[in-house]
Amino acid sequence: MLIELRTKDTLNSMLFFGVVVLVIFNFSLESLRESIRPAVPGILWVAFAFSGTLGLNRMFAAEKENGCLQGLLMVPVDRGTIYFGKMLAATVFMFISEIVIFVFTLVFFNLTVWGEIPYLALVFLIGTLGFTAVGTLLSAIAVNTKLREVLLPLILFPVILPILVNAVEATNIILNTTEYRSLRLPVSIMSVFTIVFGTISFLLFEYVLED
Amino acid sequence: MNTMPYLFAAYLAIWIILALYLYSIHSREKTLREEVRRLKQLLKNKP
Amino acid sequence: MSEKLQSRLDAVLGIILFPGMALALYMALIGAPRETSSGMGDLQRIFYFHVPAAIAGMTAFAVNFVASLMYVIRRNRWWDNVALSAAETGVMFFSMVLVTGPIWAKPAWFVWWTWSPRLTLSLVLGLLYVSYLLIRNYIEDPEKRALISAVFGVIAFADTPLVWFSIRWWRDIHPSPMLETGNLGRSMRPAFFICMIVFQILLVFILRRRFYLESLRGEMESLERQADAAR
Repeated sequence: MLIELRTKDTLNSMLFFGVVVLVIFNFSLESLRESIRPAVPGILWVAFAFSGTLGLNRMFAAEKENGCLQGLLMVPVDRGTIYFGKMLAATVFMFISEIVIFVFTLVFFNLTVWGEIPYLALVFLIGTLGFTAVGTLLSAIAVNTKLREVLLPLILFPVILPILVNAVEATNIILNTTEYRSLRLPVSIMSVFTIVFGTISFLLFEYVLED
Repeated sequence: MNTMPYLFAAYLAIWIILALYLYSIHSREKTLREEVRRLKQLLKNKP
Repeated sequence: MSEKLQSRLDAVLGIILFPGMALALYMALIGAPRETSSGMGDLQRIFYFHVPAAIAGMTAFAVNFVASLMYVIRRNRWWDNVALSAAETGVMFFSMVLVTGPIWAKPAWFVWWTWSPRLTLSLVLGLLYVSYLLIRNYIEDPEKRALISAVFGVIAFADTPLVWFSIRWWRDIHPSPMLETGNLGRSMRPAFFICMIVFQILLVFILRRRFYLESLRGEMESLERQADAAR
């Protein structure tokens, strides 16, 4: 029950933060008002990334503080399952945030995107999966350090670069061009990333939890 | 355009970075060595 | 390996290095032909140290990867010491790359920085392993530190090819008006190879020195524990 309350908190703060980022972009990119559409992919993924990082941070921070982590480890559950559980939760939260942020983006920047939605959904999903695949592991790492969650953005962003670059480009292809064929490359890189890092994180997760 | 100053700056930078790092290793080594000596002395004096 | 053999190896490396560096410098600045095709002339000579430094750094990171993996498997502190030495050494070489890169770029392309694939990758790689060092810095328990940084070391290295491909592809989509960096004419090869080899020897030399530092630290820590126990 406590977890449920906390999770609602987390989701809310993720949403709020994402929207705040959007608003900031609106003011900082005022001069681009008319031709904002090319910048939208970048804006979207920055908002996603920050909001996602916030969510990841909260994931382990609270447990570490309350010593719940010990309790969790004592349950005879395979460590890998814990990893998947966390990752899935993070993905769901992040995806929900992304949908909300996306809707706000459409409204704030006056865009129309009906036909492109399925493609966008696919790109968002794979990008989010890649993000949380590594993010879960790195969040567990960061929580172990003296700096705690502050360290997470630092170590997460260089690692996540392939996802960010490809996701932004893919989103751009969908929104601003008609050559959907060229989607194949970024989507495959993102998928490879997700599979590779999902596996690696899954395998290495238990070592990070050892206490 | 004369590029020599840049060439010089680049090589100088490499030497400086190398020198700084080697110096850093050296001074850390010195500190550690003294610590080790001190500790060994300490242990010798109270067996 | 015995102590004597170790110190002899260090001596040999040092003896090779001194004239080696001099030779590399000579080859780079004088021995190699002046570049004519792109009108940059002597500026191009930066590459003779810039690129070998990058390769040495990458080798160091590869060593870190292997050491990290081995530590996770074997849990032997020796591997952890290797990993740390390799990471620090690699970061040092990469700082060389990241400083000389812009110095070359400014007169060549009139900008300090370009998001060229190689330079961007160097930046990301540098950030990754600085993160590695940061993580190590902020974990106190030595075993935990070794394990966690080993995990990160594996992740960082696995990330590298993906980063490279992503950046390359991104560059293809957003080409910049600058040409990619110089080609290696046949006459330039001897200088290049010599510098490469010298830098690799330099790498080994520094790795060994840094490793020795870590084993000294280990010795000190065990002595400290003994001293505390005797109290």
